[in-house]
Amino acid sequence: MTLQTMLSTMSIGMLRTCGIFALTLIGSLPLGMVVALLKKSRFAVVRGIINVYISVIRGTPLMLQLLVWYFGPFYLFGANIGGWRFPALILGFVVNYAAYFAEIYRGGIESIPVSQYEAAQVLGYSKVQTFMRIILPQVVKRIMPSATNEVITLVKDTSLAFTLAYQEVFSLAKQISASQTSFMPFLVAGIFYFVANYGVEFAMSRIEKALDYYR
Amino acid sequence: MILEMRNIQKQFDGLEVLKDISFDVDKGEVVSIIGPSGSGKSTLLRCATFLETIDGGEIRYMGGTAAHTDGSGHAVYVDQKELRRFRSYCGLVFQQFNLFPHYSILKNLTDAPIHVQGREKDEAEQTALELLTKMGIADKADAYPYQLSGGQQQRVAIARALAMRPKILFFDEPTSALDPELTGEVLKVIRQLAEEHMTMVVVTHEMPFAKAVSNRVIFMDGGVIVEQGDPKDVFENPQEERTKQFLRVFER
Ligand SMILES: Nc1ncnc2c1ncn2[C@@H]1O[C@H](COP(=O)(O)OP(=O)(O)O)[C@@H](O)[C@H]1O
Ligand SMILES: [Mg+2]
Repeated sequence: MTLQTMLSTMSIGMLRTCGIFALTLIGSLPLGMVVALLKKSRFAVVRGIINVYISVIRGTPLMLQLLVWYFGPFYLFGANIGGWRFPALILGFVVNYAAYFAEIYRGGIESIPVSQYEAAQVLGYSKVQTFMRIILPQVVKRIMPSATNEVITLVKDTSLAFTLAYQEVFSLAKQISASQTSFMPFLVAGIFYFVANYGVEFAMSRIEKALDYYR
Repeated sequence: MILEMRNIQKQFDGLEVLKDISFDVDKGEVVSIIGPSGSGKSTLLRCATFLETIDGGEIRYMGGTAAHTDGSGHAVYVDQKELRRFRSYCGLVFQQFNLFPHYSILKNLTDAPIHVQGREKDEAEQTALELLTKMGIADKADAYPYQLSGGQQQRVAIARALAMRPKILFFDEPTSALDPELTGEVLKVIRQLAEEHMTMVVVTHEMPFAKAVSNRVIFMDGGVIVEQGDPKDVFENPQEERTKQFLRVFER
């Protein structure tokens, strides 16, 4: 196998990795906010469910969660899981990362002083307006550092997709390395993750700078 | 009457903070509330501006009842929609300004008029600029709150409240968070508003200011109104022993 064919095979894996990454963020960033808000629900039952969800997600390995999402329907209901691999994978990632983002959002929301809510209330803002116009923009600024950490972790965590034998860049590197008895694929994968995270850090620091206009 | 507070009672888990407080504010009146720390002044303003709910009594704005005690002895409020109308009658200036840090000064003044009251952007901005000019900080329209001194921030906060065109404006120790050299500029704009007959209730420890600007002074202690009346009478000839004691501290 020439270096070129290896790279072209692996580039398909890189695209798939980017796909997992993007879909996970698209799903978990908003879902995390929903979870964070439900955690402050008036209803004790809702809060209870959310707390159980967050502690189960944080207390078990993502790898195990992915296996449960994929094989669960078969073992529990005898369902046919053909074609279920990719949806299970994305579901597993989204549900996992939503829990972590929810905790980040919650910390951010709780760090905004009550006086901001009161100022908004006296000015007549509705609850939704207060959250969307006054609270959320300040939350976004405050959580940028911890959100950056989480996104960088996600780039690396995409490699857990190998658990479900989904052929993203890490699975492919493992396969090619075994069949070609070469170390090269791992090096390529390593460089890929590093560059991807470099890009993430760059993008996040640009956003942070853009939010630097106020304190 | 702009505001009528009748027999207001408020507890914080068992602690009676307001015990049967009654007072009225007429159109164009400037009322100062003085009293030692912990006497319930802030709580009274927060009840009047609907940040706290009363346990008993009656709150009336412009002749309409916003809250009253029902037959079972509980305070009941009007529904959300009605309450929004009553809220729009009153503005509150906080001790700590509480500007929105992510909005420019101009946007601090226009956001609520535009998005809460549905006013036109151009009109809201023009009103805002006029208010900033009046406050002597028109050049700060594009700045952000963190770039302003405390005195400037408080003047923005006053302008923000005025931009909503309230019928009555409450101030909770508007100069207490400021360095002494900055209190004058804030008191000056409040004095100017008083001359324009803006209806105001000012909680303050600035006795000379209260005496010079207000039409009436209320002395509160321990959750009750101990004494109220013409500022000249209350300051120069207080009737109650507690008032005398309190004022003595400020004489030095
Ligand atoms: N949210 C609250 N929870 C419990 N106690 C409170 C709360 N707000 C005020 N208090 C108590 O009510 C009393 C009156 O407080 P406050 O109205 O702030 O007085 P003032 O403004 O005159 O200093 C104080 O004893 C204070 O500790
Ligand atoms: Mg107070």
